Amino acid sequence: MRTSRKAVAVLVVLLVVGLLGTACTGKKAEAPSAPAKPAGVPPDTLVIGVAEDADNLDPAVTVTNNSWAITYPCYQRLMRYKVVNGQGSTEVEGDLAESWEVSQDGLVWTFKLKQGFKFDDGTPVDARAVKFTFDRLRKVGKGPFDAFPTLESVEVVSDYVVRFKLNAPFPPFIYTLANNGASIVNPKVMEHEQGGDQGQAYLAEHTMGSGPYRLVEWAKDQYFKLELNPHWPGPKPKFTTVMFKIIKDPSARRLQLERGDLDIAEELPIDQLEELKKNPDIDVREFPSLSVVYVYLNCKRKPLDNVKFRQALSYATDYQGIIKGVMLGKAVQMRGPVPQGMWGHAPDLFQYSLDLEKAKQLLAESGVKTPVTLGYLYADRDPTWEPIGLSLQSTFGQLGIKVEMQKLAYATMRDKLDRGDFDLAVGNWSPDFADPYMYMNYWFDSEFFGLAGNRAFYQNSRVDDLIRRAARITDQAEREKLYRQAQEIIIQEAPYIFLFQRNYMVAFRKNVKGYVFQPMLVNIFNTADMSKE
Amino acid sequence: MAFGQLIARRMLLLLLVLFGVTVITFSVSHLVPGDPARMLVGQRASQEMVEQMRRQLGLDRPVWEQYLRYMRDLVRGNLGISIRTQRPVSEDLVIFFPATLELALTAMFLAVVVGIPLGIVSATRKDSLADHVSRLVSVAGVSTPLFWLGLVVLLVFYGRLGWLPGSGRLDPFIPAPPRVTGFLLLDSLLAGRPDAFWNALRHLILPALCLSYVHLAVVTRQVRASMLEVLSQDYIRTALANGIPGRSVIYRHALKNALIPTVTVVGLAIGDLLGGAILTETIFAWPGMGSYVVDSINFLDFPAIMGFTVFIAVGYVLINLVVDLAYMWLDPRIRAVG
Repeated sequence: MRTSRKAVAVLVVLLVVGLLGTACTGKKAEAPSAPAKPAGVPPDTLVIGVAEDADNLDPAVTVTNNSWAITYPCYQRLMRYKVVNGQGSTEVEGDLAESWEVSQDGLVWTFKLKQGFKFDDGTPVDARAVKFTFDRLRKVGKGPFDAFPTLESVEVVSDYVVRFKLNAPFPPFIYTLANNGASIVNPKVMEHEQGGDQGQAYLAEHTMGSGPYRLVEWAKDQYFKLELNPHWPGPKPKFTTVMFKIIKDPSARRLQLERGDLDIAEELPIDQLEELKKNPDIDVREFPSLSVVYVYLNCKRKPLDNVKFRQALSYATDYQGIIKGVMLGKAVQMRGPVPQGMWGHAPDLFQYSLDLEKAKQLLAESGVKTPVTLGYLYADRDPTWEPIGLSLQSTFGQLGIKVEMQKLAYATMRDKLDRGDFDLAVGNWSPDFADPYMYMNYWFDSEFFGLAGNRAFYQNSRVDDLIRRAARITDQAEREKLYRQAQEIIIQEAPYIFLFQRNYMVAFRKNVKGYVFQPMLVNIFNTADMSKE
Repeated sequence: MAFGQLIARRMLLLLLVLFGVTVITFSVSHLVPGDPARMLVGQRASQEMVEQMRRQLGLDRPVWEQYLRYMRDLVRGNLGISIRTQRPVSEDLVIFFPATLELALTAMFLAVVVGIPLGIVSATRKDSLADHVSRLVSVAGVSTPLFWLGLVVLLVFYGRLGWLPGSGRLDPFIPAPPRVTGFLLLDSLLAGRPDAFWNALRHLILPALCLSYVHLAVVTRQVRASMLEVLSQDYIRTALANGIPGRSVIYRHALKNALIPTVTVVGLAIGDLLGGAILTETIFAWPGMGSYVVDSINFLDFPAIMGFTVFIAVGYVLINLVVDLAYMWLDPRIRAVG
């Protein structure tokens, strides 16, 4: 008996020592001073660690960034985002388009194409390919086609001249031509058509574009391998191979970056990025993005239909506390719906700030009797959503407004959003094309109730009128004026709580050069212009 | 009951199980609010586009009709098209399942090969130091959170020591062997590619070790408990009294009887592992079923969820059958009575 007790004692000691040992090793390995082997990636290869696999690579089908990251460098489009002084912008210039003109009424757009570009099988990119692409986009009829709501027809004028006809003016049109969905597809895809699917099955897993790269291998849930398009006429890119490794766990991605098995690691949590900054081999870069986080107040429901009550909520939100606490300072408070960096943003508009006295006063004026309970709808899709809710819970609580946290599966949450079955809900938004239309028209037009965009179910005929006019004319200065008037009304009526726009952060090995952040192309790398020292 | 009879009966049972499983999964996945058509056309698509997509997917039909259609296709071996990946579900399963199976079988192999001897030692030297150590190992295994273990192992063996690769099944810079079975180890051997075999094996070690540790604990404890029970039986004492050497008593008489409950545990564990060791697969970027299913659920991808469920249900029934056959082989009484 005695011996066994002794043995137990020895074992307990061993256990404790062992656990401490593993904990210490763990800590040591995490420390920035951990010896990292020299980079294992050859200099003509770029390896990017991403969090998710792509779903489908057909530009006419996919609406996810994970897929665009692969397809964008494999295709060309008529337009591309400009680089101004080495920085990205929301303005566009010709990519395949050499020049273009638009009719007075804004309905007919004629493009002259650059010559000499070829698809990766050597077929020249011409007007027929452009027409084919847009006809196919319409026939497939999935998400990407939604960016061309007024497109009526596309005609081949000559080999290198193509004409688009719209049935109503749509000023963002020229910007939408830089979308992933507008990627020009090799008409030979029809050789792979099965049962009238427009080659969708084939293009879901292959690329047939004229960009500098082409997809050579997709090992599902493992990696993508891109190699050079042999017919690319431009300067030869430094990277002959670009790999995207799918590593879902952020700690594992970080480890691989530190060990040099990755050149770039995406979507790391902010706290890990802060730690990574201490590593001399790693460069954490930060850019203001157009992706915003905001709270929808369901204006159809009592007491949220009351403007004073909504204003009280906007005053009872701790914007700076949320930015500091949840985003560790890696965000900027929004000023109205249009974020900084998008034209149409007005830096002198009114901005709410935490003012509980003012909030109490507005609450009293609203005539809403407290205590009131409001549900806060969210999902675990974004880790910031829960702490945002908790912050609202604490500040609203001081007004006698109880916030009930309602966490649901994302799919279920979306369904409730669409049906307007919520009080408060949180969401993210990023633009598909570089036009304030993406914020102003989608969020406030009473025709877009629900998931389509107007998730606050906000209705104001004056706002409807202003934003619809702004969406019909092409004069940018005039449009800006109309959007500004609409923003003033909206901010005053507070249908959303405008929280913050995020910074986009990404970690590189120090020797990776030439990356240009394009606010419209978050998660998409200009690999053809990048290099490693 | 003869083997043949048992198998026939189980096949009939399989049909019933499939019916039950499909009805339940189908109704649950269709009752959950959420619209895959909307997911597919994008959140900003117009209502008409959503409606058109619903028609295309057959989601506008009554649920019972959708179910009948599904069953009709299932009988023909067609699991439908995944809404998320737009590929036939059966194709997706063929891609992801072998990775999971390879990992699960390796982990189970390790758990059994180490767990059974550990359990025997523990039982035959009850309350000795060896027993305490093996119990400690198994208690730690049962109570260690897998994600923590995975991260620590990754930090140490990949991050710090750099002995083993940190993610995936094969180095992307090594050309994969032609796919025959989907098991990389086997395929590399078939293709005569020792480099790929070695690389795949190195990739397999860390996730398999982590995964096996939890099950190792269960196996050890199970073997220990049943060994102790068997060892206290009269016939063991008789055998020992008759002068049969202890070693022979333990391995020829006691172990065979003690293994019966262990077989059940192992069988269930394999079933469990096939469902996808989600955490392990996530940490080690192992391209298996686990993450496929989680992504499908998040997307409310009915065909993929259904396909997976049917597949796993069949898997469970078959494993149970194998377990029962193993009982028969181990225990003549079961063979006689059925």
